[in-house]
Formats: sequence, C-alpha cells, structure tokens
Amino acid sequence: MSERGPQDQPDEAMVDLLIKQVTDGLSPAEQRALDVLDSAVVSAHLRDFERAAAAIALAGSANAPPLPPDLAQRVARQAEQHFGAVAGADKPIELAAARSAAAARAPAAAPRSQAYGWLAAAACLVLAVVAWNRPPPQAPTAQVSPHPAAIPPETVRPPIVPPAPPTPAEERAALLAKADSLKVTFGATKDPAARGVSGDVVWDPATQRGFMRLAGLAPNDPSMHQYQLWIFDGGRDKRYPVDGGVFDIPANATEVVLPIRAALPVVSPKAFAVTIEKPGGVVVSGREHVVALGAAG
Amino acid sequence: MNPSVLQRIASGDSAAVRDCIEQYGALVWSLARRLSRSPSDAEDATQEIFLDIWRSAGRFDAAQGSDKVFIAMIARRRLIDRLRKTSAEPPMDPVETLEAVAWADPGTASETSLEAEQATRALAELRPEQRQVLELGLLHGLTQSEIAARLQMPLGTVKSFMRRGLIRVREYMNVDAEGVLSEG
Repeated sequence: MSERGPQDQPDEAMVDLLIKQVTDGLSPAEQRALDVLDSAVVSAHLRDFERAAAAIALAGSANAPPLPPDLAQRVARQAEQHFGAVAGADKPIELAAARSAAAARAPAAAPRSQAYGWLAAAACLVLAVVAWNRPPPQAPTAQVSPHPAAIPPETVRPPIVPPAPPTPAEERAALLAKADSLKVTFGATKDPAARGVSGDVVWDPATQRGFMRLAGLAPNDPSMHQYQLWIFDGGRDKRYPVDGGVFDIPANATEVVLPIRAALPVVSPKAFAVTIEKPGGVVVSGREHVVALGAAG
Repeated sequence: MNPSVLQRIASGDSAAVRDCIEQYGALVWSLARRLSRSPSDAEDATQEIFLDIWRSAGRFDAAQGSDKVFIAMIARRRLIDRLRKTSAEPPMDPVETLEAVAWADPGTASETSLEAEQATRALAELRPEQRQVLELGLLHGLTQSEIAARLQMPLGTVKSFMRRGLIRVREYMNVDAEGVLSEG
C-alpha cells in the first residue's frame, strides 16, 4: 500500500480496462491498449482491483465443499513432482508426507507401492513399442463399434476443450508445421479395448504445447471410466510419468484431436501412453488397461 | 509472528505443502467449480492453480494481505485465463450454482479472512442489483455482456455497477481508493 500521487491515478479508460481484466480478461486489442499505459500505475491498480475481486470471492465462498480426496492426492503428487524437479533429480523427494496425508484421505486411491509399478510399466511400454516396430493400423474412417470389453458408450460428454477458433485440429497442424516439433505415432496394445486404436502425438518442446490425435478408441461413460495420457520424460524418474490429462471420447467420434495438458514441464519426452482409469484419473496408474502407446524416435 | 503457509513453502518446508492443500483446497476447488465449463475442466484448473501457487509462494508479501486472498487472486487469474482461451459458452450451470453461493456472515466473515469481512461489509451497502452483478461476474464467471443479457440490463449499467462495487470494496480494504474515480 504505497503512497500514490495524483499523477499515479488511473483515468476512466484505464479503470475500465483494469476492471475488464479482473472480471472478463482482455482481448488482444484491449491488452495492447493497456500495454501502452504507464506500467507502474497499471500494475499497482490492477493488483488492488484483483485483491478486491479476490476478497469478494472469499466472502462468497463460505462453506465451500472440500477438495475431493482423489484430486487432493493428485495435487499432492504434482507438488511432489514439482519440488522434486526443482530440487534436482539426485535429491530425495521430500514431500512424501504431503502425498501420504492426501492418500490417507483417499482410501480408495492407489497405494504408494504401486508407484514403483511404473518403472516396470515404462520398461514394458518401451519394449512393446520396439516389438511393434511396424506401421500403425490405419485410422478407421467410420465410427468404431465398441468392443465387448470396451467402455459403455452411455452419457458421453463433449471433449475436454470446447471447440473454438482455431480448432484443436488446426492448432495441431500449425504445431506440426514447426521445424522443432516432435511427432510420435501411437500404436495399439494387446488390451482388448485397444483394438483398432491409432493416432499420434505432436509436441513442441519449446512452448510445451502438444496435441494428441486418436482414432478407434471406444466412447466412454465419464461417470464410469476416463482415459488418461501419460508422458515418460527422459529428464524425470521413470516411475513418475507426467500426467498428460484426463479426457473422454464422445459417442460419435471417429477421430479426436485433443490438447495435451502436461501437469509439469517435459524436458525430453520418451514415450506417451494412454490408459483407462476411474473418473477423474489417478495419481499412479495400475496399468490394467494401456490402450495406446508410442515411443519417441 | 509465525510464518504463513506460503512463506513456509517458499522456505522449503515440505510439510507446508500438505498444510496448504488442506487449508486452501476447498477454496480453490470452490472457485474452480464455479469458473469452469465442466467438472473435468475444474479438476484440471485446480491442478494448474496449485502449480501456480507453488511457483508464486516466494512472491507472497504478508504486508499486502492474507494467504487466502493471495491464493484467491492466483486462482482467479488462472481461471479467467482459461475461460478467455476457450469458447464463448458461460461456465457450467451459472443459475444452479447461483443458488449455492454462501455469503459469509458480516459478523463472522473475519473468521474467513479480514478481506472477506471487508468485502462483506462493502457488499452490504450495495443495492441488490449491484450486488447481483458482482455475484454473477466474480463468483460465476459471467462476462459483463453475459450479465447484461441475463439481467436484461444495459451493458453500460453492468459496467458501472461492477466498477462501483469493486471500488467500494477497495475503499474498505484501505488501498488508496481516494484517487480512483470517486463514485458510489
């Protein structure tokens, strides 16, 4: 709360922009208009309006529902990965207590011992990719009939990101055109739910953005199961692949293109895998159903 | 004075991460649910918000406010950014969640935070329609245009109500509001 002189006071146009930023967010044109104003004045007043908006949000959040245990565990796990990466790969992870505490509130969650299963899982995935060193199956051109063992195609909700210009497919194409982008081809596995699955991942290491394109995956009922992407990063412990996001396959989709939501920076992606998990995803996959995988060059 | 949970995180206290999730998980989850387009979107947003919190803990300044308001600011920034990047559809079930808003009691809001108490007192002075505009915009993530359409109110009026409400709360929070357009 520093002293401000009259010259530091915002004019009406600036106040309008600041309030719009706090409430709606700014369009690129509005952002440019704000950028040409005195940055010190803008940032000071923006902070004040943000604090006011946050205070109203606090006042309106009495009796807020608790964080779901599964999600709390994922957050704790993510913190463990984050601080582990910050501290350096050679240092022991110091946040096991946080994860254990979250796990204690989530009795149905996977036990910690399963984390070590990922070491074997990663090895198996890489071996499987090597064994399947052949062109992937062609993407189906018609809607895929669900396999008997596949997820029931009931009550399907839209993909995780609503369509907006540019579409994910367009963004993927643009990313693919970049010289430094990485493309990894997905192949199916021997899992019954993986029959006919194909696709690929396009990843830009510079911007940490990526898209996965998938065909042949059965539509899922999000209240029963969801798909989850995992990224095996050469810069990280193989036991802890980076969570690439939970997603759904709509009922009528023959092919979907979805943005990758990597929870952490990916230094050197070595492999990508899609698993079937319980709603909301998991912290540590039991890898009962690995339905797509691909290894980088 | 004991260090705040954010200061403890910044200093490398691993137990503080657990405390932060326990103390502020409900707040983050509550905001994420209201300002997201789907339950899965809210879960993704919650994870992104906590990652932002871990990264930003070192910038927390107790002289500028409480842990809670700092975390709510981080959460709102992330959620608005996510909303702006996606489609023009409003967040999920704004009408339904409107009924779920539980305003802190003016007498007990200070238990939530000093800032919540200040905001509650400021909101109590506003006319119902002004308060409704703030509620739809700040608690349900509707844009000013969406609020205007929903309440069948001119956009200029919505902007005016939003501005007056935020400035009034600013004044209660003693943040040099004198120079900002004297309204209300």
